[in-house]
Amino acid sequence: MRAFTRRRFLHSSLIGGLASPWLAPASASGQVTTSGLPAGANLAVYEGVSDSEILLGTSAAFSGPSRGLGIELYRGAQAYFTHVNQQGGVSGRQIALQLYDDGYQPVPSVQNTMKLLLEDHVFALFGYVGTPTVTRVLPILKKFQQENVYMFFPFTGAQPQREPPYGEFAFNLRASYREETAGLVENFLGIGRRRIAVFYQADAYGRSGWAGVREALGAHGEQMVGEATYTRGASFSGSMRRQVEILMNTDPDAVICIGAYGACAAFLRDAVDQGLEAPIANLSFVGSENLLQLITDSVDDSERYARYLVNSQVVPSYEDESIPVVKEYGELMQRNNPQLPEILRQPDYVPFEKSFVSLEGFVNAKLMVEILNRLGASPTRAQLEEAVFTVRDFDLGIGEHVSFSEQRRQGMQRLYYTVVDNGRFVPLDDWQARFG
Amino acid sequence: MNIQKLFRIPLFGIFLLFGIIAVSTSWVCIATVDSQLSEEYESNSMGIAQTIADASVDIILNRDLSALQSLIDQFLEIQGISYIYIVNENGEFLAHTFVPGIPQEILASDPGNTETVERQLSGADSYVEVGSPILAGVAGTVHIGMDKSVITLKIQQAVGRQMYLISSIFVVGIIAAIALMNLAAKPIENLLVFAVQLAREQESGQTAHSALLERKDEAGQLARLLLYFSKVADPEKAGGGVLPSSP
Repeated sequence: MRAFTRRRFLHSSLIGGLASPWLAPASASGQVTTSGLPAGANLAVYEGVSDSEILLGTSAAFSGPSRGLGIELYRGAQAYFTHVNQQGGVSGRQIALQLYDDGYQPVPSVQNTMKLLLEDHVFALFGYVGTPTVTRVLPILKKFQQENVYMFFPFTGAQPQREPPYGEFAFNLRASYREETAGLVENFLGIGRRRIAVFYQADAYGRSGWAGVREALGAHGEQMVGEATYTRGASFSGSMRRQVEILMNTDPDAVICIGAYGACAAFLRDAVDQGLEAPIANLSFVGSENLLQLITDSVDDSERYARYLVNSQVVPSYEDESIPVVKEYGELMQRNNPQLPEILRQPDYVPFEKSFVSLEGFVNAKLMVEILNRLGASPTRAQLEEAVFTVRDFDLGIGEHVSFSEQRRQGMQRLYYTVVDNGRFVPLDDWQARFG
Repeated sequence: MNIQKLFRIPLFGIFLLFGIIAVSTSWVCIATVDSQLSEEYESNSMGIAQTIADASVDIILNRDLSALQSLIDQFLEIQGISYIYIVNENGEFLAHTFVPGIPQEILASDPGNTETVERQLSGADSYVEVGSPILAGVAGTVHIGMDKSVITLKIQQAVGRQMYLISSIFVVGIIAAIALMNLAAKPIENLLVFAVQLAREQESGQTAHSALLERKDEAGQLARLLLYFSKVADPEKAGGGVLPSSP
């Protein structure tokens, strides 16, 4: 028997403890045979499938300044997986997640992925977080293409997993950053705000959004008037005054931020404090609720800061229960109230009852279960791609039908824009009235 | 430690010699390390710039710029490389690693220039920047900035280690020199004591004795010579005197 390492402990905790409501006790031991297969498992376990379980692998930010993204995405997905497992699972198999924390850093993400594939033998990768992490993992998928390893629904809108040479190894559900930035640019230009500057994270994520803004402006014969960057991992306690000064020198009409909530909240705080009176837009990745909470917790007159905010989203408002999937999400989040496994739990992090990120995780999980169902009684990785391609005009209950094909590896395109009113995000219907 | 007056000048000479050795070897060390490290860093950076330029062609022509950023971010982890930026053929920045923004000095420079240049960026250290064209320059240029403080630190480390060694040798050498000189000075000191005894013998009439008279070396010969001269000076004792042998 192998030594009881931290990794093994994590697996055991997930399977035996926290996931116990929906996992068979046989899986709970976490014991492995000398061949590396779980005790008592048949050969199919090599691909992450046993008679009782389908194992998916996740590497995401569960710690560090962007931990809210990984935690909330996981919670949303887990709310649905728990529901499915309580109903008997997929063809009698419980869905399990092997979790690893990468802290939103590329190198741990690559190491975690290798563990997931070589040691845990997961069926598929699911729920990864971030562009700098995912872009470094993509070559691994190509390396393992003979094993039919696919990545499902990463929480990033970047292009590398949407186009050659790695696009064929990933399936995306959310709209892309290119679409998000194009939407923001269109709307700003539409209300006469032509001097657009960009504040972005100095990495692949930031560059992806920066490129989207550049392309969208170029399509209208415009150029961005200025840019400023920050280092990935920057937190709200840090200063963004220098970045604000750089952008204020370019006299922007609007600023589009491509970052995570800590840095973007710090930028909003310092921008308003320094008198930058222009709309400050964020992409869906930012983690809207985390951002707003940082602002409201740190300043007395948070409305003064929040009135400049406009965030694009790739899922509808979680308050709009007229949308079937939102209603289901609300019920299952309340009923299951999923939490991170104890070993990954952050004592000082208080999860949100609802959030755009957890709603996205919920929708991701719902489509994942649908795909697993389509694999039938004997799922194999080799069938995965074909099973995804059978998803045509599928109604997730989100108001937009989802389709996949050889040429179409992104399920949804719709965008939603939100602003803050009375301390919560609400849909933005009239850009002119708000920012004109 | 008591240093004989006779040896103070030789000791100062040794001290001076050590100083000259320390300064000259340090100077040679600084020049060598500086030259070799600068060449090595420049050569490595040129190689990295060429590698990025080669790898960038496909990305610039076919892929999203986030892939380009991901590529250069990996190279930024190499020690000594402080910044990387890639411009297209029009001088537009396609990817870079600057935080919080692109320095004015770089914005004002010729983006197509691939000559090695030294840069003093505002509020920062000085850098050596190398460049490499992408697709012979028609697709842009890669620029890599190396932090010169890394080279300076390496020089300081190399010189520091050398100075530590030389200082240790110097201290041990000086202590040994003083000890050896004191050892060499001991017979002379004894001779002085013996000479004083001989002089007093003239006044008191007592016979002077010294172990020096038994020695076979120059000190013994000198002692015997002094004894002989003292007896020559006193004709009554001259008959019993012993002439010193030739050295």
